[in-house]
Parts: sequence; structure tokens; C-alpha cells
Amino acid sequence: MIGGARQGAWSRLRRLTAAAMARDLTTFVVPGPDIAGAHGLDIEAAGFRLVASPRHASVLLVIGEIPPALCEAAAVVYAQMMRPRAVLSLGAQTRPPLPSADITVGLSQHELIDGMRRIGAAMAEGAFGHDASVFDAPVLRLRIEYTCPMHPDVVRDEPGQCPKCGMNLVRREVQAGTPHPDGHKDAATEPAHQHQPPSKTERHAAGAYTCPMHPEVVQDGPGQCPKCGMDLEPREPQPAAPHHQQHTGHASAVEYTCPMHPEVVQDGPGQCPKCGMNLEQRESQPAAPHHQPHAGHASAVEYTCPMHPEVAQDGPGQCPKCGMDLEPRESQPAAPHHQQHAGHASAVEYTCPMHPEMVQDGPGQCPKCGMDLEPREPQPAASHHQQHTGHTGHDGHDGHDGMNHGEMGFMSMIEVTKDLPRSRDGLQMEWVDAPFGPYFPGLPSGLVLSLTLDGDTVAAAKARSLAAPTDWTHPLPLTPRAFVEHVTNLNPMSPLAYRLLACRALEQGAHVDVPPKTTRGRIGALERERLFSHLGWLSLFGRQIGLDWLVGRAAALQIDVRDAECTQITASKPAIQSLINRLQSTPLLRSRTKHSGHLAPDDALRGPIARASGVDEDARNTDTGFTELGFVPAIQQTGDNWARLQVRLAEIDRSLALIEAADIIATPETGDIGQATGNGNAVVETPRGPASLQITLQKGQVTEARLETPSTAHLDLIESLIAQQGVGIALTTVCSLDISPWEVQQ
Amino acid sequence: MTAQALFIGFFGLAAVWFGIVVFRTHSMVRSALALLFSQTALGAMFLSMQAEFLGVLQIMMMATEMSIMAIFMVMFMMDPGGLGKMDMTHQRRLSLGTGVVAFATAVTIALFVDWGPITSSAPDATQQTVDLGLELLGRSMLIFETAGITILTAMIAATAVAIQPAAGGSRHGR
Amino acid sequence: MTTVLLLMLLAVGAYLVAVIEDWVYRGHVQLSAPLIAGIALLGRESVVPRKPDRIFFETGPVLLLISAVLAATVIPLTPGLIVTDLATGALFFNAALVYVLVALLMAGWGPDGAYAMIGGWRFLGQLIAYAMLIVMPITAVAMRAESLLTMQIVASQSDIWNILYQPVGFVLFFVAAMALAFLPPFDLPTAKGELAGGVEAEYTGARLAIFRLGRLALVITLAAATVTFYLGGWHGPWLPTWAWIAIKILAVTSIMLLAGRYVPRIRESDLLGWCWKLGIPLALLNIFLVGVLALVFP
Repeated sequence: MIGGARQGAWSRLRRLTAAAMARDLTTFVVPGPDIAGAHGLDIEAAGFRLVASPRHASVLLVIGEIPPALCEAAAVVYAQMMRPRAVLSLGAQTRPPLPSADITVGLSQHELIDGMRRIGAAMAEGAFGHDASVFDAPVLRLRIEYTCPMHPDVVRDEPGQCPKCGMNLVRREVQAGTPHPDGHKDAATEPAHQHQPPSKTERHAAGAYTCPMHPEVVQDGPGQCPKCGMDLEPREPQPAAPHHQQHTGHASAVEYTCPMHPEVVQDGPGQCPKCGMNLEQRESQPAAPHHQPHAGHASAVEYTCPMHPEVAQDGPGQCPKCGMDLEPRESQPAAPHHQQHAGHASAVEYTCPMHPEMVQDGPGQCPKCGMDLEPREPQPAASHHQQHTGHTGHDGHDGHDGMNHGEMGFMSMIEVTKDLPRSRDGLQMEWVDAPFGPYFPGLPSGLVLSLTLDGDTVAAAKARSLAAPTDWTHPLPLTPRAFVEHVTNLNPMSPLAYRLLACRALEQGAHVDVPPKTTRGRIGALERERLFSHLGWLSLFGRQIGLDWLVGRAAALQIDVRDAECTQITASKPAIQSLINRLQSTPLLRSRTKHSGHLAPDDALRGPIARASGVDEDARNTDTGFTELGFVPAIQQTGDNWARLQVRLAEIDRSLALIEAADIIATPETGDIGQATGNGNAVVETPRGPASLQITLQKGQVTEARLETPSTAHLDLIESLIAQQGVGIALTTVCSLDISPWEVQQ
Repeated sequence: MTAQALFIGFFGLAAVWFGIVVFRTHSMVRSALALLFSQTALGAMFLSMQAEFLGVLQIMMMATEMSIMAIFMVMFMMDPGGLGKMDMTHQRRLSLGTGVVAFATAVTIALFVDWGPITSSAPDATQQTVDLGLELLGRSMLIFETAGITILTAMIAATAVAIQPAAGGSRHGR
Repeated sequence: MTTVLLLMLLAVGAYLVAVIEDWVYRGHVQLSAPLIAGIALLGRESVVPRKPDRIFFETGPVLLLISAVLAATVIPLTPGLIVTDLATGALFFNAALVYVLVALLMAGWGPDGAYAMIGGWRFLGQLIAYAMLIVMPITAVAMRAESLLTMQIVASQSDIWNILYQPVGFVLFFVAAMALAFLPPFDLPTAKGELAGGVEAEYTGARLAIFRLGRLALVITLAAATVTFYLGGWHGPWLPTWAWIAIKILAVTSIMLLAGRYVPRIRESDLLGWCWKLGIPLALLNIFLVGVLALVFP
């Protein structure tokens, strides 16, 4: 019986389905097809069918040793697979929290095919069983927490009401372990369409401008109201608690109402019978938001037009100018946020509701528009509240601490959402947090993107690597030979380039000379590595943009050039070149990649990324070995996704030429270092850009090492680069950076 | 005849039921799609009344319209999944009363008015479509074209008004 | 009787679409592959995700299948072989297919997953792009036939097929039909490299089987509609009518499925931009040209 068998007794039907499952092995690869390609494995040729979601997979294919963080994410992936499910491990035993592999084979295509046959047989025989075990791992345990649908920053362990808006908190499940280890898992455990907007940003915290007539109009800077064209007035930061404390001292009658259901009115506090929200206190006159008349002192009421404040009469009726129904107001129109407390205000100034810059000590008309000036207490508003604290009857304010209801006289959508962050188009939308990775089909495996999506536009992004070791130098000191092996294994995406880097650093530290033939052999090896890495990237890129033929073709060619001799590469040359030509003439490719992911020339750019932005920087430029072979770097100017594709395609072409010119490929081996002591440092133009290594040698042992890699720099670009892009293009852009999460230095 | 009446009654009740569901659910999306199925049931009523073109048109148009409404609800309403158990009703008594009275009136009219020879003289579906086409492109052409252009203009204007001028650069300039 | 026969033919057609899809993906034909995959799918667990909108989650795949089957009822295969020759056939075809959108919205919203939800809403954006390009070319087709009856539409092409009579309309309809069936490069709701399966991602076991069946039925229905509207339906020399229609439908299906392999997934903004700025003016031009042709050569 396989480890992930489905509970149930065998029947004829089940035998049939098990036989079918054995012949239709859908597989999800961990860490990913890119790593499989780097190890020279062709999974589909072996007879598996690759699927994009673990939900559709029956076999989890684990390739090689997996770093602990990725292993945890892999356990989540395994938990998402439907039973019957099996684990096939290549090259290493699986480690907890993953279950032990049903079949373990070596790391080669031949063994993979063998493993496929064996796992098929195991599936046919053990797909169902009586005592199917339940898979459990610490990473899968869930914690229950409660959050407000409107204020995602409010998170509590206990149910209750939101202190900000009084809504009932909603239960959600979160992973007890690491916060977001895996995209699929999170997609599944995300609370039901919470669309959590991220916590409030600073943008609206201060200095918002609003229209005196349309308080719902709020924007960051001054300007005109889009509704009535009036100049916007500055207003105090949200939430404007001080202004909206209930002034129980002078309110003659107080009642309680629900912010959502204004028809619910009662004398005492409590919950709304309709929605359960805490009722809010208000003065008994039906108050429009922002315009709370103070019944206690409203001695005279007149009726005015909301559009034409100069129209005022004693009774209700229609505006003679626009025909709108007149609204009651106190005889002095109260500007929003500027409630007058004439009775106790120690200092009152008069200002025009249309022209806030007009301020004077006494009443009168505005010199600009002729409107009656209205009294207000002087800015800044904070002092407003201070002034009241001394008054008797205001002690109740303290009771409102932590229950700040803001200005919601009644809850309008505009009121509720106005502090929430807004995207650049100014539309207020619900935001969704969606993690992509570390096993996402369109991204390098091990890379996690946490995207905050506004519709399907990226509002905010965070990128990190789960594949990178926390401290790659921990096994030091090492003998030169062991050190070279260690560095080689650091980055499975381009092991030979790293091997060369280690060899060069050692040789430089020990002052060992390298014969020209070896140098040429190393150039051949490095360029083959570039060819190999770029072809692997093309396959991943094809997967991301949905270009099926490219995925298979580039992967097949990548396997062809892996460990190939010069003659084999020459033999593959026409195929590679025809791939490039075909790609150049692929319809829609240009429109998908051109004008997106633009990067201006910058110090943070490395390697092909920099060269796509027009920076003529290449470690090979200064290497005599390369210049003798006639090396010229490939440069593009536009710095967009298309340019990065073009640079890589041109580099493939150049690598082919360089390999032909070098006419020899030799795996870099370190010479005899002896008992050398000293410092060595080397730079190698890896397929992703220059990597530099500084080492300290003591008596023939490597005691210290420092590595700088291009992917580390590129990882930090992502956040600003993909902001405001659609999710598809954002992923294309990230993919175009060709980050190797394995070489990211933390 | 009886089968037809049964179908009309069934779809009518379905329309009413989905209409009620609109307000009984907490989820904005469910609410929008319930409204869609209420309208679809109306379209089915038209079909059972042998107004084939009208019925099919109703069924077709409403799906798009209500889906678009649903996405606006999801985008701009808080808590579209209905987790906060928000109540969808307002002025409950008044609207209930209005609904019941309207329903009763409609049923009464349907049952007690003597429809006379209208139903028997209705042409078959093919002829109806032909007649409708001649009507739309004949005498009523001006009215329909004017209405159509007006609605289109209103939609474009509404969209244009809703767009805030971009603060800098276009959206996919990067 | 005709209905049962046509439903069986639809099932066979859907199976053949699956075979072609497998052939396009793997490069070799294996007649049993979809059967094996289907049985394997039915043997697997089918779970309901955490906190689903259960009604939508269950309804989505079924509604997809239903709308595809309903659309197929107005497509004639040979003279007289049609489930119902509605007087508003060409319009009914549209009406049924709009519910593909509703099905995908439900399937996207139901399972409570970010990828699925984005996929579902993406399809709404896609509909805004392609919908006009389905309806307007059909209008031109109906203009030539002077009828919405699909039988009549096929009969009107006995001399010259619509693909020659209104080639612009054919191209627009073909592209829009691919977008409607969310076939690559228009697979925005299920994009593998962007949403890891999107709408499909959370469906498993039997529910996934229904979803995929609905999709296959949709593809074959759209291919059959393309044949009916533009390729002269059963008309053709030498061979019997049933052979012609089968050949045509399978050819159209193959082209639809193959095309996506060689083109990257389209950008949403491009799709909307091209459809509205280029497609709709062309569709209007097509209507105008067909109108002139119909007047000049009655």
C-alpha cells in the first residue's frame, strides 16, 4: 500500500480506477521543473504528466536535497494532493515534515523512468487500503483568529466586535507555523474572500483635502471638487475623533442608532437587532453626517439649498435656482468638521466656506465670493479637543477610548472605505493578498512573491527566497577540494559557473598560474553553462507566458547541451538557432513583453538585466581570455521584458560562437594549492551576472569566504518594478529577471 | 393551454423566489446572481408565453448585466462574501408591503382580465421575429435608435466622469 | 429520438476533442488517453475546500456543461438533424453561451481561493472583449440568410460559403469563439503560468471531471457553430453530408486547439484594446459590406 492510499476496500471498480491511475500519473514537481531540467531530467518524456496545481497531482516528485523551508512548503503541497497520492524521491531520502517516499531512486533520467514504472505499479496495487493514514505535520495545523472584515489590522484571538467600526469579527483559520509558506496552501486557507486590504498606509493619515459641499470627496492634495468644482479645503487627519465626540453636555436628547441601519433607534446603548453592531450615540435630530446640529443651542432653523447656500428661507420648499429640496440648517451654516461651539469657544474666527484662506476675527462677507463667513474655532484642530476637556459634562469622552466610531453618523460605503488605501486610479477597491510560490509553475522554484492585488493589478509586492541557505559558509574551514564542491552545489541553476568562481578565487589566493589551454577549456565550460542556463530560463519563460512549444523545445535542448562536448554543441547549434529565429517571429510575443517591466540603467542591475538597459557591463569585457576569442557583449537599450529576452537570445548565439572559438570544454578543477596562505578574490560572469567571491586561505584551508551574487540585487528590484502591473505581466516581469533563489544571500 | 399556464406560474414563482433570495442572503455575489436567476425566470416566462425573441433576449442580456453588477459589488462593497452577516434589507415593512401588493395586483390582473382573442391570434415565433424586425426598422426605428444612442452616450459620459485624471503616467507604462 | 442521438454525438465529439487536445499536448495520438484520465479522475477524492460558497462551488461545473449542451441544441448537423430549430436559433445560441460566464464566475467565487477568484472575474473582462465579436458577425450571417433559423443559415450557404462571402466576419467569430472557450492564448481564467489553473485549480475528482467535460462540450459546440455559420454546414461535394460535417468540425477543433500552442497568452489589456478598437469597427464594416452585397446580389 502506498503512503497516501485512499481509505476503502478493493472492489472491481476500484481495481479499474487504480489501473487507470497507474497509467495516468499526474505529477507535481518539487522544487520544480526548472530544477529538474538543471539536473537533466525530462519528466514528461519519462511518462509523467506535469500539472500546475497540486490538487490535480497524484505523484509528488521530489528532486534532490531540499532546504528545510522548502521542505515545509512541500509538506503543504503534499497535504493538498488528493488521495491516492504517492511520493517519488530522486537522489535523496525525503526529510520530515514530508512523509517518507514510497519509491526512492537515483538522480538520472534512466532512474526516473524506472521510478515511474515502480510508482505506477505501487499505485495499481496500493491505491486503496483499509488503514489509510492521515497525514499531519506541524506546518498544517491551524490557529483560529478573528478579524474585522473592514479593518484587517484588527486581529483578535477571541470573537467580539471591531473596536474601530463595531462590526462582528469574522473567524478565520491561519497556519500555526510559518505565516505564508506556500501559495496553494494559502489560497486554500484564505478566509472566505476576505480581500484583506493591507493595513492602513500613511497616505491618508494627514493633510487630506475635502469639498465643503461634498464631504465624501477626499483626496490627498488640494484641487477642485469633481462634483461641484469648488476648491477643496484642507481637513484634519482621520479619524477626526475630537470633532465627533458626542457633546452630551449640551445635547438635550440623546438616542442610539445603528451605523448601518439608521432606522434602528433606541434610548439606551446596545446592539443592533439587525446586524449586531454596537449602536452609536447621536443627538436626536436626524443628523446628516458631518453636519451635526446641536439641538441644545439650535435656536433658529432655516432652510437652504445644498447647492446654493445663499438661498435661505424660513420654511421648507424648493430652491429657486436648481429646484432641489431645501434642507434645514441652523441659521449659521456649519461647515463640515468645524462645528461651532459659540457658547464656550474662547477664540472664534470667521472664515469663508469656499475660500478657507479668508480668515478674520468678526463676521462678514467673503471678499472673494460674497458668502457669509462662518465662525469656527481656530486651527489646528487638535487644540479643539483640548479646549473642551476642561468643561464639565465632557468627561464621557474618556469612555470612548478604543471605541472610536469615527465620523459615521450612518455608515455609508464612502465613509467606511475612505481611509482604506487606494490604488493609483483612485478607485476604492477591495484588496486581496495572494502568495505566489515557492512552487508556482510560472516562477523560479523557491521564489515566493506575496502580492497584494487590487482587482488583478499588483498594489504591493514582497519577494523572498525560500531556497537560499541562511549561512552558506557554515561548513568552513574546508580543504580547497571540498570548498570547490561546496560552492559548486550552492546553486543548482548554474553549478559550473560557481565551480569556476571557487577555482579562480583559490588560484588567485594561492598565486597559481593557469595554463592557456585550461583557461580556454574553462571559457568553453562557462559559455556552455550560460547556454544551458538561458535555455532553462526560456523553458520557464515559456511556461509563464503559456507558449507550450517553447517549454518542451527549450527543455529538450537544455538537456542536450548539459555536459555536452564541443562537437555535440556544434551539432545542436542549428536546432538552437532555429529556436531563436522561431521565437523572434512568434506573434503576440512582442506585445506581451514590450513596454513592460521597464528598468532604467542603475547600479543595482547586474549582468543581462543591466545589459538590457543599455549598461555595457560584463566581467568578460576585461578578461583577456574572452577578448582574444572576439567577445563582444550583447546590449539592448530599452530595458523592458522584451529587451531582456533579446539580450538572452543574443547571448545564446554568442555563447555558441565562443564555444566554437574555444574549441574545448573542460570542467574547472582546482590545482594543487599546497599550504598557501593569503586572500583570493575572483569575479565570474555567471549566466545571471557577475558573482564575486572573496576567500581567506590559511595553511591550505579556506577559513573565510564572502560571496556576492546578482540574484541578491535583483530580488530587491521586484517590489517597485511590478507595482501597478497586471498580475500576468507582473509575473512575466519577475520571470524575466531570471532570479535564482538558490544564490540569494540573506 | 393548461401546460402553458403551469409553466408560466412555475417560472413566475421561481422569479419571485429568487427575488426574495436577493434580500435573504448575506453575500453580495449571491445576491447579484439571485437577481440574475430571477430575471432568467422572467425570460423563461416570456418563452412560455410564446414571446420567443423577447424571452431569449432577456435571458441573454441579464446574464452579462448581473455579472457586471456582481463584480462592482465585490469591488466596492465591504465584506462581499457576507461573512459579517450584514442585512440586505432597508425599510423592511414598506418594501414587503409594496412587494406583496404588487404581486397580488399582477396576479389578479393576469387571472381576472379577459384577454380575449389576443392570445389565439398571436403569430408563430418565426413570424413574430419577422414582425419585430420590421417594426424595429420601420416605424419605431427613430425611437429605438434615439434611445440606443442616448443610453450609449450616458454610459460613456458616466465612465468618463468616473475616471480620475491619472496623477502621472499611464497605468501600464512600466 | 433525435435528441438522444445528438446528445450521444455531442459526447463522442467531446471525447474526440479530448483526444485532439492530448495529441496537441503530447505530440502523439492515443485514443484511450482521455478515457484513462477520466477514470483516474473519478477514482480520486473530490474535496470541498475550506469555507466554500457551497452552492456556487457545486453549481459552477454543472452550469458550464448545461450551457454548452443547450447551445448545441440549435446546431444542425445534417438536414433535419437538430434538437430544436428555434425561430431565434442564432440568438438562443448566444443566450446559452453567456451562461458560460456565469458558470465561471460561480466556479471562481465558490471555492474560496485567490487564484480561482481572480480567474473567474478575469473571464468577465474577457467577455466584455469578445461578446460583441460573437454577436456582430452572427448578425451579418443572419442578414445573408434573412433568418435566425440555423437550418436556414446553412441553406443560405449552398452556393458559396460564408467564409468566402464574409471572411472578416469569419476571422472575428473564430477568434471570439476561442476566447469564449478560454482556449490558449485566451486561457486567462485558467492560466497555468499566471494562476496555476485558476478557476479549475480547486476542483478535484468527479467535480473536475464535470468541469472538463463541460469545457470539451463547449469547444465542440463552438466548432460546430463555426461550421454552421461560416463553413457551409453539411454542404460539400462527393462525400455524404454526415462525413462533411464531421470532417469540418474536427478540422476546426484541431485548428482551435493547435493555435494556442504557438502563441503566448494574450495580455488582458491587449485583448480588450484590440477587440474594441479593431474588432468592433471591423465587425461593423463586415455588417455593412454584407448588407451591400445582399442588396446588390439578392
